[in-house]
Amino acid sequence: MSGKVLEINDLHMVYSGGVHAVRGISFNVNEGESVAIIGSSGSGKSTVLRCINRLIEPTGGEIYLKGEQVNTPHTDINNLRSRIGMVFQSFELFAHLKVLDNVTLGLRQVRKMSKREAEEQALAVLERVDMLDRIDAYPGNLSGGQKQRVAIARALAMKPEVLLFDEPTSALDPELIGSVLKTIRGLADEGMTMVVVTHEISFARDVADRVIYMDQGVVAETGPSSIIDNPETERLKKFLSSINEEN
Amino acid sequence: MHEAESGLPKAAEGQGVARVVAITAVILLVAGSTPGQASGFTSGWEVVESGTSEDLLTAANFGGQVWAFGTGGVILNSIDNGISWENTDSPTTSDIRYSDSDFGSLIISGDSGLVLLKSGVDAEWTDISLPGDSQVNGISLTGGQSAIAVGNNGTIWELEEGEWTEISLSIESDLLGVSFIDENLGIVVGSDGTILFSDDGGENWEYREAPEGASDSNIVSVEFYSSTRIYAITDDGSILISMSNVVTGTDVGYVWTLVEFERHYPPGTNEYILGPENLDVELTSVEVVSTSKLLMTGAGGYLSMSINGGTIVSQQINPLGNETSFNGIVMVTGFTGIAIGDGGSILWTDNAGADDQVGFVVPEYGNFGVFVDETKEMFLSGFIATLKIVAFGIVLGFFLGVTLAMCKTSPTSLRYIVERYEPRNVRIVGIPILGAGIFQIYSAIPGTTDLGLQGIEYIFLPVGAPESFLRILLGIALTFVGLLFLSNDGEFAKIRIKSISLNPWRVRPLNTIATVYTDFFRNTPLIVQFLFIHFGVRLGALIQGPGLDIFSFENLEGNHNFLTDIFARYDYSESNYGTLVGGVLYDSAFISAICALGFNSGAYQCETIRGAIQAIPSAQMEAGRSIGLTYLQTMRRVIMPQAIRICIPPMGNEMVNLVLNSSLAMIIGYAELTRQGKLIVASTFQYAYAWGMVLISYFVVTWTLALFLRWMEEKTRIPGLGMTGGN
Ligand SMILES: Nc1ncnc2c1ncn2[C@@H]1O[C@H](COP(=O)(O)OP(=O)(O)O)[C@@H](O)[C@H]1O
Ligand SMILES: [Mg+2]
Repeated sequence: MSGKVLEINDLHMVYSGGVHAVRGISFNVNEGESVAIIGSSGSGKSTVLRCINRLIEPTGGEIYLKGEQVNTPHTDINNLRSRIGMVFQSFELFAHLKVLDNVTLGLRQVRKMSKREAEEQALAVLERVDMLDRIDAYPGNLSGGQKQRVAIARALAMKPEVLLFDEPTSALDPELIGSVLKTIRGLADEGMTMVVVTHEISFARDVADRVIYMDQGVVAETGPSSIIDNPETERLKKFLSSINEEN
Repeated sequence: MHEAESGLPKAAEGQGVARVVAITAVILLVAGSTPGQASGFTSGWEVVESGTSEDLLTAANFGGQVWAFGTGGVILNSIDNGISWENTDSPTTSDIRYSDSDFGSLIISGDSGLVLLKSGVDAEWTDISLPGDSQVNGISLTGGQSAIAVGNNGTIWELEEGEWTEISLSIESDLLGVSFIDENLGIVVGSDGTILFSDDGGENWEYREAPEGASDSNIVSVEFYSSTRIYAITDDGSILISMSNVVTGTDVGYVWTLVEFERHYPPGTNEYILGPENLDVELTSVEVVSTSKLLMTGAGGYLSMSINGGTIVSQQINPLGNETSFNGIVMVTGFTGIAIGDGGSILWTDNAGADDQVGFVVPEYGNFGVFVDETKEMFLSGFIATLKIVAFGIVLGFFLGVTLAMCKTSPTSLRYIVERYEPRNVRIVGIPILGAGIFQIYSAIPGTTDLGLQGIEYIFLPVGAPESFLRILLGIALTFVGLLFLSNDGEFAKIRIKSISLNPWRVRPLNTIATVYTDFFRNTPLIVQFLFIHFGVRLGALIQGPGLDIFSFENLEGNHNFLTDIFARYDYSESNYGTLVGGVLYDSAFISAICALGFNSGAYQCETIRGAIQAIPSAQMEAGRSIGLTYLQTMRRVIMPQAIRICIPPMGNEMVNLVLNSSLAMIIGYAELTRQGKLIVASTFQYAYAWGMVLISYFVVTWTLALFLRWMEEKTRIPGLGMTGGN
């Protein structure tokens, strides 16, 4: 079995307002593994993801990417971030750039590629997310599902070692969810290492190698995706039934 | 909010064409009419008959009459303010060179020690000559019967009760001029930059330092005009000035400066030599008419006038031609007076000698066509001058605005700056910073007491001189940073004092500096900023000097191009080879105007741009950072391109404001549109036409700008983003 890509030890995050959002979380992500994080709203899932690439500064604990510590002032954080892809709930495409330029921006500015090289690589990933036909469109003229696929392409183009998804389908209309999930599933099948925060329980069950259930800032239950069908803890049971009620 | 009119509807396109036509028509109207009538100058001096052909060397006002003296002992007298002259009996045949009248007496001196005194208009001349070998170079009365005369090798003679005593000073220099304002205060000047001062009627003399640049010059004449001002001239064409200073409590005569010439006008023209080092003439005499109005004579028929203490000097037309040199001017009133010269020449004026500007025909300005013909060149030059400061001001303001907005929104706190370094190293760096801070405060403290200020009226100078004040502020800032660094233990903890807790590590220095800047410029009147920048800091001159050193004719000769022409353009034609004729560095008022406009506009633009930056969702920054862009890269590639689009409409307001504000540049003497309008009114008295044209000109500029910005807005709009009210 291949090595650990992400290693998270005793992670704590106290926001400046005093909210203790993450209270000592530890988990590892192995090469090629896809981990799903589930949990109710406000349980600290996004906080964990944003700590991993240090969009926010964790107040305690350690995070390692392939053995290299992420959360010290001494790391080259820009380099580390370019190796960790992130897909946001609300896409966050660069509204003033066309689809193709959204994807090439990081390649040109961070990877210092020539325009031609960058475009070649961008076209390759855009093909993977099935967006080749809209490369000259501005994000404002795309549907939600298309936007999220472009966002995935933007992260993917950097050839990240791990991809973080923060509720990639929550902002989408139900009929658009499918195409995005299909794209993510394809990536998982290709062996992409990823951490997916999601409310799509069935997706977590089918795609994830491992599921982490978070509640009130701690890991309440973790295990293979089968725990979704056979939850051990009361809390997870309750959570799953509340979700099933909704659907 | 977008402007209601952003996104021009299609139907407006026809209107757009009409607008272009209208603008073009106005421009053609202004530029294309036929050339105006030439105009010229006539001399303000009239030649009057003196009845002698002796060289006239000195003149004086005495007892309601005007007196002129010259070679061969000639003494002329005029009882009608210098129009008609009578040759009076002279008790001498020696040349009379110097004269002074005061305290009801008239004293003259000349060759071979000649000194004559007249203690009343009807009194006879009394001969009080010095020994025959004395060479007198100047004389001044210190009382009805007392006087001081000066001569070569530092000799000073004092006349008291009919007796001369020689005061010998251990000075080698020749003394060339003397002037007393009352019984006590007097000044003597001489060769090698000698300046002597007496406050006891000439008994004792103190050496005063000549300004740098005049320490080798021969100071040939001096006039102690008032208790606040003394003027002196040198034979190499410089003017020295000494003023009392109320703020520092310095009396007149202590501090001497060389007048920096801004412009020197050759006779009979409106074209001037910019910023000459000297007047390029051997000056022979100076007559101070009022605190800041001077008349000067010089070799080669030089006659000139300045109405601002010498900074702008206009040479006057000499109706006798350049062969006749003038030796002195004496004014009976502020406007009536005479100039005397070689060969018995006397010129008379009743308008202070100023040349009269005359048109060959008096145009009928009431006719609009004639008015436009006559004034279009001035309008056009003002229009172009305004366009120039506006263009440079916009560029400078935008650049500053973006920089300041970036500073204000930057998250760079002190903690952020130091946290990547070992605490120990940070502490080590803290030591010199603390040292520098304490040194600044310590060395500025003497300055705070220097002035000995007391009382509530000095509330605006709480710590004395402005420089000390600034240094103390800097010192406090450095001390704060130094102490903070020294206390660094890698924890970056808050400081708690009772219930108040604050974290000094969260101070954002860039933000602080930018905030101070914008608050200052937005909370003071622009007109005062103009005055302070141009006259207080002299920023224009400060930039112009070193700027012209770099873009000097020597450096540019042979390799000038359009870029260097922006800074300094020289004339390469035969006749004026090497004269500076244009470019930003041509005129210090131009530089100051750009700076004042740009600095001010930058402060406002900063707030506009900052507002736009804050309107961009912070997640855009996170998205940029998450693909590995640095903070600055994200700002440049992601945030700014979106923010600038948002702020085009409010930016349009800023730019229109800048155009309108540019009219304030007239206060510092920059020849922009409003100032030209004022000058045109002064010469045509067509208030409605002139100001109307000025208004229309401004409108054309701002309107074009507004159209351009609307076009920009349209051009840069991101498809699918924002409400546009159109397509
Ligand atoms: N920037 C913030 N400042 C203060 N509190 C925050 C901030 N972001 C999130 N929180 C709080 O942290 C907790 C966890 O939030 P989050 O990680 O977004 O939860 P989830 O993604 O699981 O819904 C919530 O209580 C939320 O209110
Ligand atoms: Mg969340």
